[in-house]
Amino acid sequence: MELPSAISTGQQSSRPSPVAQKLIGVVGAEAVLWRPEDRMLYEYDGLSSRRAPDAVVFPTCTEDVVEVVKVSRSENVPVIARGAGTGLSGGAVVTEGGIVVSFARMKKILEIDIPNQRARVQPGVVNLDLSLAVSDAGFYFVPDPSSQKACTIGGNVAENSGGPHTLAYGVTTNHVLGLEMVLADGQVIRTGAKVWERPGYDLTGFIVGSEGTLGLVTQITVRLTRKPEAVKTLLAIYDRVLDATRTVAAITAAGITPAALEMMDGFTLRAIEEATHAGYPTDSAAVLLIEVEGLREAVEEEADAIEVICRHHDAREVRRARSDEERELLWRGRKNAFGALGRISPNYYVQDGVIPRTRLPEMLEFIGAVGEKHGLLIGNIFHAGDGNLHPLLFFDARDAKQTEKVLAAASEIMARCSEMGGSITGEHGVGIEKNELMPLIFSRDDLDMMRRLKDVFNPGGFFNPGKVLPTGKMCGELRIQLGGGA
Amino acid sequence: MIAAMETIQTELAAVVGDSAVSADPAACRAYAVDAREPKLVVAPHSAEQVAEVLKCAAARDLAVIPARNGTKLGIGDPPRRYDLALALKSLNRVWHYEPADLTVTVEPGMKLGDFQRFLSPDGLWLPLDPRGDAQASIGGTLAANAAGPLRARYGAPRDMVLGMKIATADGQIIKTGGRVVKNVAGYDLGKLLVGSFGTLGVIVEASFKLYTRPKARATFVLSLEGLEVARNLRRSIVGSPLDPLRMALLDRAAADWASERGELPSSAGASAPFEFWLEAGGAEKVLARHSCELEARAKEAGTRMESPQGADRAWGRIADFGRLAAENLPDSVILRVSLPLDLSEEFLARALHETNVRAVVSQPGTGVVSLVLSAEGASDAATAVAKIRNLAGALAGVLVVEHCRPELKPQLDVWGRPGSDFEIMRKLKAAWDPKGILSPGRFLGGI
Repeated sequence: MELPSAISTGQQSSRPSPVAQKLIGVVGAEAVLWRPEDRMLYEYDGLSSRRAPDAVVFPTCTEDVVEVVKVSRSENVPVIARGAGTGLSGGAVVTEGGIVVSFARMKKILEIDIPNQRARVQPGVVNLDLSLAVSDAGFYFVPDPSSQKACTIGGNVAENSGGPHTLAYGVTTNHVLGLEMVLADGQVIRTGAKVWERPGYDLTGFIVGSEGTLGLVTQITVRLTRKPEAVKTLLAIYDRVLDATRTVAAITAAGITPAALEMMDGFTLRAIEEATHAGYPTDSAAVLLIEVEGLREAVEEEADAIEVICRHHDAREVRRARSDEERELLWRGRKNAFGALGRISPNYYVQDGVIPRTRLPEMLEFIGAVGEKHGLLIGNIFHAGDGNLHPLLFFDARDAKQTEKVLAAASEIMARCSEMGGSITGEHGVGIEKNELMPLIFSRDDLDMMRRLKDVFNPGGFFNPGKVLPTGKMCGELRIQLGGGA
Repeated sequence: MIAAMETIQTELAAVVGDSAVSADPAACRAYAVDAREPKLVVAPHSAEQVAEVLKCAAARDLAVIPARNGTKLGIGDPPRRYDLALALKSLNRVWHYEPADLTVTVEPGMKLGDFQRFLSPDGLWLPLDPRGDAQASIGGTLAANAAGPLRARYGAPRDMVLGMKIATADGQIIKTGGRVVKNVAGYDLGKLLVGSFGTLGVIVEASFKLYTRPKARATFVLSLEGLEVARNLRRSIVGSPLDPLRMALLDRAAADWASERGELPSSAGASAPFEFWLEAGGAEKVLARHSCELEARAKEAGTRMESPQGADRAWGRIADFGRLAAENLPDSVILRVSLPLDLSEEFLARALHETNVRAVVSQPGTGVVSLVLSAEGASDAATAVAKIRNLAGALAGVLVVEHCRPELKPQLDVWGRPGSDFEIMRKLKAAWDPKGILSPGRFLGGI
């Protein structure tokens, strides 16, 4: 992340606010942004925007973070943690002013311990950078969100991020063993351990996925995973969407857990192909991108079995990547999909829901019907293997009516996920996007307990206010400002 | 006091039925925890009844310990007080079994062995080999986050739970997570419950993701002359593409005991040769590859490799070593030490050198080591435990005293010293259980 100069030219800027002055006092002028034109850049994340923070601070160590928390307490303003701002549920959006704590300068890999398969990092380390740092030793960090070239491990911890390759090996929470965190009173605690078993409540597991509402994580101990001996990547091409979704269920039923099992529909494919030239067939209705990995012998057998299943379900063609370059190309299309789709319309809204994977066929039909009803273009990119949907709703944010339709359509899709026994978010988080939808899947008692536990960590509500739990203002509806930033 | 207990018995009978409440001394003795007996045993039939029982207990300020088979009840400090044994044996149903989705919801009283039998016709399983093995219940396995050597490949209970329903100390039933395999909606309360040893709430229903059982399995056993060879072997396996289901390292005494060739020794004497056990699973080609590569390593180490048939029973004993050893040798002290993956052999070498160890089972894939100590008197035991705890601590390891005579527990510091995160844990406990009625005094720091 590039840091705009703190002593920029802006003549209209007056003096730093009292909060900014205090922050400058504890971390120095070069670590605080306070001019309006600088603060404005921190209004939004990957989803939405609301307002600018009172100040942005760039700590370089845990002690800085402690001082920042103390200032926030004494000035009575909220603290909002920010990684790379790639989140898709508004987790880093400022709701009621306060201090944005950017971890852009806390990006050291503190320890790489290959024999014990662990690494300890600061929260600002970019996800992919950790995998690259341990790659020569034959290891990697499993969670691989599509934004992994930019997103930070601190952000992954906040959101409990997933990614295409978490199907077989689990999401962030399955790969984080310990945390250092600054509490609301400025106290620093360490949770978990480098070892697997430590008595006491699993605070690490509770904090991962808490979206920055419990404290500020300043160090993360993660597990490193050995890279597989063999990887096979297949692209199965279908003339009918239904055949692709049935294949997904059949692969699971055959007892095969691929490392990744992604689905893209024809509409999305064509858009991606135009932008990235990954070699996707533009005349098909859907493709499955399937990857198996592990021991050479196991992988060959699984790849063969998968090919048989695909053909049995009327795949028109099944391609296998014959080289790393071919594999890379197939994945490039998928990983750059969101960028490529920007070409279709001025704006699009990525949804994130989960259903039991056997119900993909009827869900896709439902999404199609919702699009038709509202006259909206909806593309589909799924982590099909775990039933994690990402419908993409295309619109023009300048058209208020269309925007309203998009939110209505997305709400209907979320309600359907809930009815199917699924979830309103599989990996993007609740944030400010879905907190009012929480009553769809949780009772008042459930939410009350969550609130009680949150208060243990965050009694005054200083950390990331207005996120995760419903505010009670508008129940059961999506009510975000779309297309404001991204 | 007796009269009061009778009133309570009547009250509870109104909730669960007359036959499901008992003050019978024999029934109460069966639920003794560290030689302390409850006054009543209550066996609710549903989640709602569990919640009602807890509501009644909270109103009367009765201390409750949830239990099924008691395979892990020996772990922990003696209860500060103990009135009601909450017997979960009747909560043993399966809900929402979706084999095609690889998900299931099950009640806590289901025994792991029965559950695996239920899943096996569909080629599925829950890949856990915890203390208690087939006798362990789902609820107890979750409450202790109990995992055995399979953890290296599949993870622990915490990694397999998709969601749960929890009866709280104030008599509510709350839900966390869900039944789908990916879900980040809301705080993950389940993580707090898993491994909380019955101190936060009572798990009345849990949803799991299921796994496909390997098509075939094979066990390989290598006899090794010492710990350095064991370390080299483990490093060469972990550093290779080999993909074992589980691994174990046993000293001679433990190996004889696991294979039912002999009893655990009643005196110190853990010694070489060690046995290195490895189970591989999958297609025939995968098993052949493991066999071939391990054979080569055995040759290199100048030793033989065997492939015993019907090794399931031995693996069950290995997984349940801590508990079975406590049953066989009630006077011994049994320790469980969790170490960084690369340091378990170094730790063992030092521990065997410095203290009287009777038998050892270690999990090279997870860094977890179980030791049976012979300790004559209380001060002996305290000295030995302190020594080993220091050894472990110097290697970033964590030690728990899994078994000793109840009267020794206070001196041995069962859980070890809490860390900087303890204050938060204490507050979380208070948020879940303000009156402190759930397993009081049993967990870390007297929680």
